[in-house]
Amino acid sequence: MRRRPALALVSLLLAVLVAGVLPAAPQDKPRAGGELVFVVPSEPPSYDAHQEETFGVMHPMAPHYSTLLRVDPTDKTGTKPVGDLAESWTISKDHLVYTFKIRKGVKFHDGSELTSKDVKASYDKILRPPAGIKSLRKEAYESIASIDAPDPSTFIVKLKYPESSILLNLASPWNWIYRADILAKDPHWYEKNVNGTGPFKFVEHVKGSHWVGKKNPDYWDKGKPYLDGYRAIFISNSSAQVAAVRGERAMIQFRSFSPPERDQLVQALGNKIAVQESPWDCLNFVSMHHEKKPFDDKRVRRALSLALDRYEGSKALSRITLVKDVAGIQVRGTPFATPPAELEKLAGYGHDIAKNRAEAKRLLKEAGVPDGFAFTFKNRGIPHPYEPLGIWLIDQWRQIGLNVKQEFIEASAYHPMLKRGDFEVAMDFQCGFIVEPDLDLPRFVTHSDANYGRHKDTVIDDLFSRQGRSTDPEERKKILRQLEKRLLDEEAHVIYTLQWHRIVPHLAKVHGWTITPSHYLNNQLDTVWLAE
Amino acid sequence: MAKYLLKRFFLMLPTLFGVALVTFVLIRVIPGDVVELRYSGDRGAVSQEVIDQERHRIGLDQPVWRQFFTWLAGIVRLDFGTSMWTGAPILQEIKLRFALSLQVAIMATIVAVVLAIPLGVLAALKQDTWVDYAVRIFSIAGLSMPSFWLGIVFILFLLIVFKWLPPMVYTPFWVSPRENLAQLIWPALAVGYRYSAVATRMTRSAMLEVLREDYIRTARAKGLVQNLILSRHALKNAMLPVLTVVAIEFAFLIGGLVVTEQVFNLNGIGLLFVQAVAHRDYTLLQALVMLVAGMFILVNFLMDAAYAWLDPRIRYR
Repeated sequence: MRRRPALALVSLLLAVLVAGVLPAAPQDKPRAGGELVFVVPSEPPSYDAHQEETFGVMHPMAPHYSTLLRVDPTDKTGTKPVGDLAESWTISKDHLVYTFKIRKGVKFHDGSELTSKDVKASYDKILRPPAGIKSLRKEAYESIASIDAPDPSTFIVKLKYPESSILLNLASPWNWIYRADILAKDPHWYEKNVNGTGPFKFVEHVKGSHWVGKKNPDYWDKGKPYLDGYRAIFISNSSAQVAAVRGERAMIQFRSFSPPERDQLVQALGNKIAVQESPWDCLNFVSMHHEKKPFDDKRVRRALSLALDRYEGSKALSRITLVKDVAGIQVRGTPFATPPAELEKLAGYGHDIAKNRAEAKRLLKEAGVPDGFAFTFKNRGIPHPYEPLGIWLIDQWRQIGLNVKQEFIEASAYHPMLKRGDFEVAMDFQCGFIVEPDLDLPRFVTHSDANYGRHKDTVIDDLFSRQGRSTDPEERKKILRQLEKRLLDEEAHVIYTLQWHRIVPHLAKVHGWTITPSHYLNNQLDTVWLAE
Repeated sequence: MAKYLLKRFFLMLPTLFGVALVTFVLIRVIPGDVVELRYSGDRGAVSQEVIDQERHRIGLDQPVWRQFFTWLAGIVRLDFGTSMWTGAPILQEIKLRFALSLQVAIMATIVAVVLAIPLGVLAALKQDTWVDYAVRIFSIAGLSMPSFWLGIVFILFLLIVFKWLPPMVYTPFWVSPRENLAQLIWPALAVGYRYSAVATRMTRSAMLEVLREDYIRTARAKGLVQNLILSRHALKNAMLPVLTVVAIEFAFLIGGLVVTEQVFNLNGIGLLFVQAVAHRDYTLLQALVMLVAGMFILVNFLMDAAYAWLDPRIRYR
């Protein structure tokens, strides 16, 4: 074979060019400067994330703080832990001891240096809050036996038993690291003040109006953040939010817009707007009261799930509201999601809807439920996606001969109603901050405070416990599939509807931000930059 | 006069007490409370321990009568307590928003008065002519259109035609008059137009009534010029009911622009009302209702005083 040196040279040159020897296109290279203006539909009740539950805290305030670990800001699944204040870590062979090396030279915004003592004090507050202090997520850390800071750059977490989700749990966006000295003097200090180690320093908060942050020049990740600052504008009215982006008074709203709002923005702004979409780790599912007839009968519960044409429902509902994917117990595309072939085997997930509904009718008849049986479905009085989903469910159940009346309960009275068990069938809801079975599924174990349907199932309890302690991902997947089959099919304790769908349109000049399945993630803004 | 005013002043106190009692009871009838709402958010699974701890902290676990008298004792000392949602002092929360609401109310009143009085007088003078019909159509249109709807139309018009939106963040007038007016002129126009419609109709009917009075006929018979009759004799007397309407509308504007403030994203008292209801922030809501009720009662008192001053028959009755 003849050699062609000229061709080889050209190929080499091309390869070098492609590899990036030439400068990247302007839009690919982060540009420093500018102020990001974004809309926040809610507002922080207090400034202490350990004690709060709303994204109204996370969106404007996360840029001021760092966490021990964080979820990789470039990972679309939002399930990959990377170091934030932890430079590296090691795991003992028995998976019981996690040793983290804390970055050196990290400074709080007041100029003091961060050490492992601060990490420990923050986790002490989360795991064992002092009297008068709440910690909303301490139950998620029951596996932790002890924490320790033997030297300024080492933080050690010891577990009572192996827990496969512990790293992701330590990457929780809520676990901001506070200064130990301040917490020792006044554990309430962070409720009204800000002092973190994050990429942006606090400038001002005008209640009901806006929140402003400016670049932290001492941020440990040199070269970042790219922005000079940011301004979060609080706008609760959704039309005003859309108008703010449309009028270019704001560049992005990080929670989500609805499909019609997205379409309106795209139509008005054309190529000035970009849209990122993702399955959302939020879900509406149907709880059936297991102590009320006929919902104590699993045949009835299965029939209610079999009646749903989820695939057609997805097509119709995703045009008008915030739901889309047909999914199992985990968000599509994430490590423990159900493969489509397996999903179709679950009751109500097959594509042959006529067959499903015939089976549903047979089950109802077998359970002694008469044609035209009436019950009340309680739904939360929130327009999206509760109302369209409720209407869809009622229509689906009507098609197997059930006569369902919908009753809307005002949002603040809804949770107490569920807790009292004052329902036959009700819409339930959940939103996670990281897609992880240990975080998404605890409510389905028998003794959970949120087991509103009051099912008693030791098999589920056992499967949940086993999956959490399994350190082999493949084995964990197998256990999760068993749990899913029991929860949604064999016992049909609850009925999953459709996965929420997150839609974030933003001005095309906003770069460096990647959508994830959670609106609680990726809010530090250190990677975000503006093209002009 | 002093005795009359004193009597009117002391009548305000039982009214305020009644408002306080009704407000306190009514908002507790609404299902749900601030703690449930705050801690049963997206996860919907906060433990009962946290709920109980928070209820205890803000005093919701106390008997309702004790909560009422504690609150009442605070009001007497002008201490409205702290917001159950944010923990901030309520007076601070209100003070922050009051300047904006007051400015919108003043601007809307100016718009309303500038439109209403000349148009109302003109319509009365040109009764049953095309001018009168035009003014009546203009005012009926104003009455028919909710101000928030007109606000939405303004926003869409600005967005579509000028690709421009009013600023979303409030800038005080003394910091930047331009920014301030760019934001507030639109809600003031939207609200002022509806407000002017009420006042225009009142001016017209009051003027028509006064123009038929004997003393106007006498003035005309004496040969006084029309402008003098209008300004010195007719308009002055016709203004009493108009002033009442303007004053009551002004009091309403302080806390009543609930939807308009949302449409324009104005950080005012109306939006705070909405948030207080949505959050079941009892203490804040009670204080806001007291504020608005107090404004109405105060305006009524001032109007009564003005009436008594202008019309001696009232104070001697």
